[in-house]
Amino acid sequence: MYKIANHLAWLSLWRRKTRSLMVIIMIALSLAGLLGLQGLYDGMITHLINTTIRSDSGEISLYAKEYRLNKSLDHILSSVSQIEKKLLTVEGIKSYSVRLQQEGLIATAHKSLGATLKGISLEREQNFGQFNAFTTKGTYNFGEKNKGALIGSSLAKKLHLDIGSRVVFTAQDATGEINSISFRISGILKTGNPALDENSVFVSMGKISQFLNLKESATQIALRVNEADNIKKVQKELQILFPNIDVLRWDELYPLLIQMRDIMEIFNLASYVIVFIVAALGIFGVILVSVLERMREFSIMLAIGTPYNMVRNQIIIEASLLGFIGYMAGAFLGWISLVYMSTAGIDLRSFEAGLEMYGYSAIMYADMHLYYFFQAFFAVFFATLLSVIWPLRILKKIKPIQVIQGKML
Amino acid sequence: MKLIHITKTFYPGSPKEVKALTDINLTFEKGEFTTLSGESGSGKTTLLNIIGGLDSATSGQIFLDDEEISAYSEEKMAKLRLHDIGFIFQAYNLIHVLTVRENIGFIMKLLKFDDKQIETRVLELASILQIEDLLHKLPGEISGGQQQRVAVARAVASRPKLILADEPTANLDSKNSERLMKMLRMLNEKEHVTVIFASHDKYVLDQSKRIIVLDDGVVIDEGL
Repeated sequence: MYKIANHLAWLSLWRRKTRSLMVIIMIALSLAGLLGLQGLYDGMITHLINTTIRSDSGEISLYAKEYRLNKSLDHILSSVSQIEKKLLTVEGIKSYSVRLQQEGLIATAHKSLGATLKGISLEREQNFGQFNAFTTKGTYNFGEKNKGALIGSSLAKKLHLDIGSRVVFTAQDATGEINSISFRISGILKTGNPALDENSVFVSMGKISQFLNLKESATQIALRVNEADNIKKVQKELQILFPNIDVLRWDELYPLLIQMRDIMEIFNLASYVIVFIVAALGIFGVILVSVLERMREFSIMLAIGTPYNMVRNQIIIEASLLGFIGYMAGAFLGWISLVYMSTAGIDLRSFEAGLEMYGYSAIMYADMHLYYFFQAFFAVFFATLLSVIWPLRILKKIKPIQVIQGKML
Repeated sequence: MKLIHITKTFYPGSPKEVKALTDINLTFEKGEFTTLSGESGSGKTTLLNIIGGLDSATSGQIFLDDEEISAYSEEKMAKLRLHDIGFIFQAYNLIHVLTVRENIGFIMKLLKFDDKQIETRVLELASILQIEDLLHKLPGEISGGQQQRVAVARAVASRPKLILADEPTANLDSKNSERLMKMLRMLNEKEHVTVIFASHDKYVLDQSKRIIVLDDGVVIDEGL
């Protein structure tokens, strides 16, 4: 019986090519849109997290106890070279960056603002998170005798600074004295991390150590881990190795980012459900119509003695074939769009200001995961199944002769 | 086949209530060649549908070989239609995605005849009905008369015990009507297939061995 139903289903699809093609195109386009949207949403949040990890927290950061509660130079990491030596013994660490920072006041001839002076090693930051790629203007260096500084793009804008502008930074040193130091802007950075872009001035580690009267000290040592799965393991090892130091993962340092991700996931889910319902209704509608418009044909089959189960199987096989071919075409189109969006990205520079306010990039890149395609498969499968239930119920209830005589439907 | 006190009321209890058949009592013997006749709306098609199990009576009983088929479930009735009854509808009602060859062999396929048997029977019927050249065509590609001949071939292909034909000549010219009736007479005589028509076509009435006249759902005349 399945053989005949199968044969009839194939014939029906093949000999009504235009209708079959329309249904397949409709399913494929809905699905490709669904996949593209999912990848783009995930890509937005992944970009946000990656930017934060690259520009600041790494996967793990070390802080002196209490520093995060009281950002005073009394709570900093000392004997940094000893810590670095120990870090080299831990497996799974790809790179690390030592940073020293102090909050203070940045001033130009016309304006002054609260800011953070960050001492970094350009070379290490480059290895750590390709920091040089964040340079939007000027050069990625501290100039002659390390008298230059890199500045966050938003802060530079607020202070009307450009390459070559001179700034004075005033802050309290380790002895409690208020000191000032001047720098010339050598580069402007746009990291995509609002905390850095709006608030930070980057100078050489030697310069800030001298300015703050500190040696062998750091406020943060940020680490990059080889494998994302190793983060917790490396954290545990470091906690054993440095019992008097705070060893924190990026998600512990940026709980807001996790909240944002959770909110985004809920938002994504809601959007996904809406798009899925629209796509499912589309698939449902098309298959429903394709079955209903052939109610007379099915009634003829029933009238001449075809068992209901065979007609039912034929309808299910037809809908499944349409759903499956539509899925394959949609998955292929979706894959192409995801590959394109994950490599070339989508240029949304016309909305740049709004997007950057929330830390999103103006060029959005999509994520691509295998599970998208499994989810999409089940989405199409259920939509297809739902779409045949109603016509099958009608078909079960009707008297074939009434449909044949045009008294029903 | 015995029909006892068959009545059929459409929309019972509603203002639109229509009594289509009233107290029909008839017996059909094996090998009959009978026509249910009457004006349009007299109830002949309704009676034919009830005989074929395509519709159910509001009251009354139908017996086939002493077995009450009016109490059959839909599934059992479908099985009976598949095995024992061939239908010829006024509007042909072929399956449009199947070729002429596939339409003729469709019921045989459902009855699990092997492909060779089906092909032999299809060619035999196609030759009798002169539709050999149409076997590869879809119903939409052939004329009404040709479609009706295909419908006849489909109805008789599996050699059912009973053939029910509703106005089979209504859309045919005289030549095709003659050919169709000749074919059904031959089946009736050679294979003792019982044939019941619902028709008011004079040519069909002339060919019939028995005529049952209905008027407003009541049998008003019955004769040979």
